[in-house]
Amino acid sequence: MRTLIFATAIRMLTPVFLAFSIYILFRGHNHPGGGFIGGLIGSIAFVFHILGLGTRQTAKSYFSITFYKYDRKPHHGTIRHALRLLRKNLDRRKQKEKPKSIWNYYLLRLRPTYLMAVGLLVAVASGMVGLVLGKPFMTAYWVEGKIPVIGSLGTPLMFDAGVYLLVLGMVLKMVFTISKD
Amino acid sequence: MPANQLLVIPLLLPLLGAIISVFLWNSIRWQAVVVAVVQLAFISVSVIMLQQVLQAGILTTQVGNWPAPFGISLVTDVFSSLLLLTTSIAGLGVFMFSHTALDQSRKHFGYYPLFLLLQMGVSGVCLTGDIFNLYVWFEVLLICCFALIALGSRKSQLEGALKYLTINFVASGLLLSGIGVVYSLYGALNLAELARIVRSDHPNLDLLLVPGIFFLTGFGIKAAIFPLFFWLPASYHAPPISISAFVAGIISKIGMYTMLRLYTLIFSIELEAAQPLLLLLSGLTMAIGVVGAAAQVDFRKILSFHVISQIGYMLMGLAIYTPLAVAGSIFFIIHNMLVKTNLFLVSGVVAHRHHSFSLLKLGGVYLRHPTLSFLFLISALSLAGLPPLSGFWGKLMLAKGGFEAGHYLLVGTSLCVSLVTLFSMTKIWNEVFWKPRPRQLKQQPVVTGKSYIMYLSIIYLLVFILLLGVSAEPVIQMAKLSADQLFNSEIYIDAVLNPERAN
Repeated sequence: MRTLIFATAIRMLTPVFLAFSIYILFRGHNHPGGGFIGGLIGSIAFVFHILGLGTRQTAKSYFSITFYKYDRKPHHGTIRHALRLLRKNLDRRKQKEKPKSIWNYYLLRLRPTYLMAVGLLVAVASGMVGLVLGKPFMTAYWVEGKIPVIGSLGTPLMFDAGVYLLVLGMVLKMVFTISKD
Repeated sequence: MPANQLLVIPLLLPLLGAIISVFLWNSIRWQAVVVAVVQLAFISVSVIMLQQVLQAGILTTQVGNWPAPFGISLVTDVFSSLLLLTTSIAGLGVFMFSHTALDQSRKHFGYYPLFLLLQMGVSGVCLTGDIFNLYVWFEVLLICCFALIALGSRKSQLEGALKYLTINFVASGLLLSGIGVVYSLYGALNLAELARIVRSDHPNLDLLLVPGIFFLTGFGIKAAIFPLFFWLPASYHAPPISISAFVAGIISKIGMYTMLRLYTLIFSIELEAAQPLLLLLSGLTMAIGVVGAAAQVDFRKILSFHVISQIGYMLMGLAIYTPLAVAGSIFFIIHNMLVKTNLFLVSGVVAHRHHSFSLLKLGGVYLRHPTLSFLFLISALSLAGLPPLSGFWGKLMLAKGGFEAGHYLLVGTSLCVSLVTLFSMTKIWNEVFWKPRPRQLKQQPVVTGKSYIMYLSIIYLLVFILLLGVSAEPVIQMAKLSADQLFNSEIYIDAVLNPERAN
């Protein structure tokens, strides 16, 4: 599957997939869609990315934080140094000066299993809102007012978001496990 | 505590515990702490729930605040809260045992979260008042059981897990078809609503037998009733004892609970047609289970076959279908959950010390561990039903109910089966505990670790078994009360559909 065309196309399409999956998640309350299908679409983005570019590249581009470290210049204070670090990290391509070290943190070390647990926790918490307010478990509460694209906010949306994370975590867990072998 | 909150706590506690255990994935010790806290809280919530149900009658809550026939109802009556209390007590025992006996690698691969999710499935089945949700909770049970049986992936385990999964998949398919048929016939999935429709003059009433057969076959597989039992001894002996004790002790009775619930609430109308079949099946289940056990020489396999035989007793109460017999069934389920779990735990301790489950390779345990032998003896005699131990009362109620209803043949069979059970338990006693240790094994070292917690779990369960035997009266009263509630379905229907009128 590793062709240049596929790899290039998928690098551009993955963010589109993700944005679309979030859109599907939000429109799910009154239209076809929702957390489950949104999570599946979101995970398809990563599955294609893995197919096209390999697990390591996917982990590097979506599940890691990279930070360029520089020495503090003697005449710079702490705040000025922090601002300089921020500026240098925001546009890394234009750097002439070599960074002192590159700090790379892989979020994948926090396995997809944790993503599943967070999803479950969010879903349960959305149900607990009703319980705490003295109504039966999972009673829906809505925030007043509508936001243009998203629609209204409330506990059902929170539940859907939990399902989204759960499905995403589960598919990622399966794909990473299979692609390791 | 208001019913709204009380009824979801048995579901939320294990779920939250499982989520927290996943976050503590790398630290087994903290996971164990979480599980211990959840178990203790679970027991106390079950006690509170039982107390409230005894005082105030059936409790209901509508999840999502949608009214009853449309939303998802959670219902608890005396029967389900008794069962929840028993499972929570047995759960703590199994947890104490697994804390010391289970190997580290299985704990590292998520034994504790799976255990908690399994408990959530059990409480879900007990509490749900909706037939589709019942199916979903059974799926939760199926997935967790499958994962637990396969955990560690030894060859025999995978074989057992595969058998378990395949046959239970078929059963789930049958259940789902049955639910589909019910919905297309009556347009309702809520148990109370279905019970109401079945008791009115609905034009489709003649077809009730069709879903009835689907459910009988589906739950027959899940509960291991006579012609469909073969998967149970083939898979329950495979995993380590900490897992098979819970699965064999608790999960196999959950199918029986659902049959009692559904057949008293919905299919009782058609029971005249099904009764001869149920009588025949219960007699055959008892007899075949115990005969199968007599042919085995493996500690766990003997116990697994006895699980089947005892399912026959529980079915007997349903087949006779008088309040006394159903109360006997309920008492028997409670007794059997505790005793069977305890016997599995004893076999686990023996195997931990002597490295084997085979009767041929064991012997002389009495000399080395007199206390353990004594603990086994009480549980085994209780299983066989010697007075004044707990098994006796259940069998007495069943036999009395059977005589009153005039099913002499079935009662005769059940008494003969009891005798064979006693024989089978004596066989284990002779081979494992009494006979001298086989000569070629004498050199093998006996593990003598400090595992007081293992003994503690057995003694802890034994206390409840003895209590159940010596002061059986309150439990028998509660069993009769729950049988009354099962027989007067109007109470259940009113409590769910018209909560204002019921109060």
